Amino acid sequence: MLAPRLRSRLPAFVSSVRDHPKQSCRWQTTASTAVEPPPASGHSSSVASSKLLRITRESALRTPGIVWADEEPVRNIVGGRETRKMNLYQAVRDALSIALAKDDTAVVFGEDIAFGGVFRCTMGLAEEFGRERVFNTPLTEQGIAGFGIGLASMGHTAIAEIQFADYIFPAFDQLVNEAAKFRYRSGGNFSIGGLTVRTPTMAVGHGGLYHSQSPEGFFMGAAGLKIVIPRSPIQCKGLLLSAIRDPNPVIFMEPKILYRSAVEQVPIDGYTIPLSRAETLIPGSDLTLLTWGTPVYHCESAIQLLNSPPPSLAPLIPPSLRSAKVELIDLRTILPWDMEAVVESVRRTKRLVIVHEAGMTGGVGGEIAAEVSKRAFLRLEAPVRRITGWDVPAALQFEKFNMPDEIRILDGIIETLSY
Amino acid sequence: MLRSFSFKHSLPLTRVCSKSRAHSTLPSVSSSLGTLPTTQSPVVSKLSFFNSVTGDGSKIPTYRVLDGLGVPVEGAEVPEISEQFARRLYEKMQLLPTLDNILYNVQRQGKISFYMTSYGEEAAVIGSAAALADDDEVLAQYRESGVLLWRGFTIDSIMAQCFGNHEDTSGKGRQMPVHFGSKQHHFHTISSPLATQIPQAAGVGFALKRDPARSSKNIACVFFGEGAASEGDFHAGMLLASTLPTPTLFLARNNGFAISTPSSQQFYGDSLSARGPGYGIDTVRVDGNDVLAVMNAVTDARRRCLESGRAVMVEMMTYRVGHHSTSDDSFAYRGRQEVENKKKIDNPITRFRLFMESRGWWNETEEEELKSRLKQDVLKAFKRAETLKKADLKELFTDVYAEEPWNIKEQREELAGLLKKYGQVWEPWRDELKSFKDEGKKLLD
Repeated sequence: MLAPRLRSRLPAFVSSVRDHPKQSCRWQTTASTAVEPPPASGHSSSVASSKLLRITRESALRTPGIVWADEEPVRNIVGGRETRKMNLYQAVRDALSIALAKDDTAVVFGEDIAFGGVFRCTMGLAEEFGRERVFNTPLTEQGIAGFGIGLASMGHTAIAEIQFADYIFPAFDQLVNEAAKFRYRSGGNFSIGGLTVRTPTMAVGHGGLYHSQSPEGFFMGAAGLKIVIPRSPIQCKGLLLSAIRDPNPVIFMEPKILYRSAVEQVPIDGYTIPLSRAETLIPGSDLTLLTWGTPVYHCESAIQLLNSPPPSLAPLIPPSLRSAKVELIDLRTILPWDMEAVVESVRRTKRLVIVHEAGMTGGVGGEIAAEVSKRAFLRLEAPVRRITGWDVPAALQFEKFNMPDEIRILDGIIETLSY
Repeated sequence: MLRSFSFKHSLPLTRVCSKSRAHSTLPSVSSSLGTLPTTQSPVVSKLSFFNSVTGDGSKIPTYRVLDGLGVPVEGAEVPEISEQFARRLYEKMQLLPTLDNILYNVQRQGKISFYMTSYGEEAAVIGSAAALADDDEVLAQYRESGVLLWRGFTIDSIMAQCFGNHEDTSGKGRQMPVHFGSKQHHFHTISSPLATQIPQAAGVGFALKRDPARSSKNIACVFFGEGAASEGDFHAGMLLASTLPTPTLFLARNNGFAISTPSSQQFYGDSLSARGPGYGIDTVRVDGNDVLAVMNAVTDARRRCLESGRAVMVEMMTYRVGHHSTSDDSFAYRGRQEVENKKKIDNPITRFRLFMESRGWWNETEEEELKSRLKQDVLKAFKRAETLKKADLKELFTDVYAEEPWNIKEQREELAGLLKKYGQVWEPWRDELKSFKDEGKKLLD
């Protein structure tokens, strides 16, 4: 079971050279660039060369966990399905288009939505579905959230956008006190499962204090809400459609640096990817590396640095650790999170490193560390380590030394492996 | 009982509102049915709805002093300003687009990360600044750097903030460009979230009122756009300043756009001015592209604020000629021609220049000299700022708390350890470290 799933996930990693010479070439090319220092300018450099992105139709159609909307789940996924090259914002747009086409009650709204949104996620939707269903709201996040809750309480599908996750806080009351508790407080009589709040999140390299934050941790205590963060276009489309159709309110945070830089072949049919399921991206047996969103790619780079360090770093990486097999897991749904998958992995690898951009204190990593420590206490051979933003605001000119980049992740892996 | 609601400079409103304060589709009633016991609301037997503050359903008028050609409109009171003062006004208005032209291009070249221009709103901001006392507390949104320039914040300080170098006294390079601040200039540091400054301004006004040294001298003044006025914080701020009350002046820049969203999609009523009376706030709408009208309105608004200790609002009608920011291309949602027309027909700088020329205070030669001098000043500051290093890397960890708690101390030390280990061998870090003044070496100080 495990092997074929992994093959389909990571063709470039696990396929042999003979089977896929072209992909092997790509891997070699990428590997050789990996030993060169990446450009200082961008944290996104690791995205462009990532092997986690599914850039062929075949690999896209074999995305693990994909559930086609138009078929029995048991039917084979390969067949006449088509894919199209999309970046992450185009995948958002594709999902929204499907949601609007399939569901007459669905509406999409938020600040600057009508002309396409500041990140282009709603481009052309107003023209395609009409201004009654895709519309600008006045500039009020608390209003947008409350409006969406009201709409959803009437059984409609409300897809709201908060322009930046940094600006979700005026809506905090509506989301935490209202959306999260809507079903519970009414004894199950009312629900707002049709509410999805999309919002761009995480750092971009030049966002400073108020265009860089990862506020998922603030919502961890809001039982009743789901929080989802996709890492790639395929994931984004499937998870967003799941979020929209999920019978609970979902905050869907899109890593904004990936809007343009993450590109995949995305199946054009409707499909979903289940919520609350983590995905193992790289299998391993020596350490579990758990993350979500943008840092998935920094983690991938860190593993490459560990396994084949460039000459400049080699003296700092004990040779005995270079063959370590690090298991990379994308948590994908942050609340409620896939405890089973994480604990299962840690029980095998005996070591856990958690990476997130938000600061350490009050971050999601603390919650996961506590739970894993309880459930795998006797298996752990090192303390659970968190590699995160420091407990400071996201200072503009200091960002490169604030964000958890590949070198800090690498160091965390080394420290944890050699504990 | 009913506070007067007259506009010194606005004859039509004075006439309309002389009968009753507002909401005046309701006739001034002396009801035989008496009044409600607690509110003094006259009891009537006729059902009547109202949805206008002008009384007759017409739009709230706009106060103007100069017409588009810089000629005083009939009945307008031209403020008594000296030639010297007029020149200062004009120079600061011209400095804004000079800075904008260069910094916009500097951003396009990738030398700074972001920028926002003031194009089209020069009169609204400079006119307001000129009418305030230089030590009135200003809480701005982000497109009001003109206030700082008026108060003597230097071009070098502007550049230092935009480049985020070690001379950035606004925020040590922590914030995006245009997030200026200066305690010395009574200008609270800009924050990106919209409208958050508005209720804060009510608090600032309250503090001023409680300070014997400043209570009869200074007001709080808050700038915001018509988009920001849709946030809950706008309503909270107006309500607090009006009710407590506090001497807070609300200066709304209605420039027609909130990024792409036109004001027609921002509200249905008669814009922000209609909201003032709803909060019991003296309100006036002014032509924001007429620097003299802005000055007159803000001068009188400030006087009312100080004398009554209450909130006052001025809505300045203007037009955002530039894109929202360097992250925006406004031609995706508005016509290029529309913008070009606005620039030509309703240019606040041209309007005031024509006025000055009509007084014999300005001519073509002086215009050329000024533009050339300002450009040189800005370019000189730009070239200097470009070469300066960022602040010390240790500033990443300072100022979070007044003191340093254990977690931040440990994290600072952890980064120092990481830099010691990888700082010289990991090229991205090695290159980046060179851009800091301390090159990361003071992290353990």
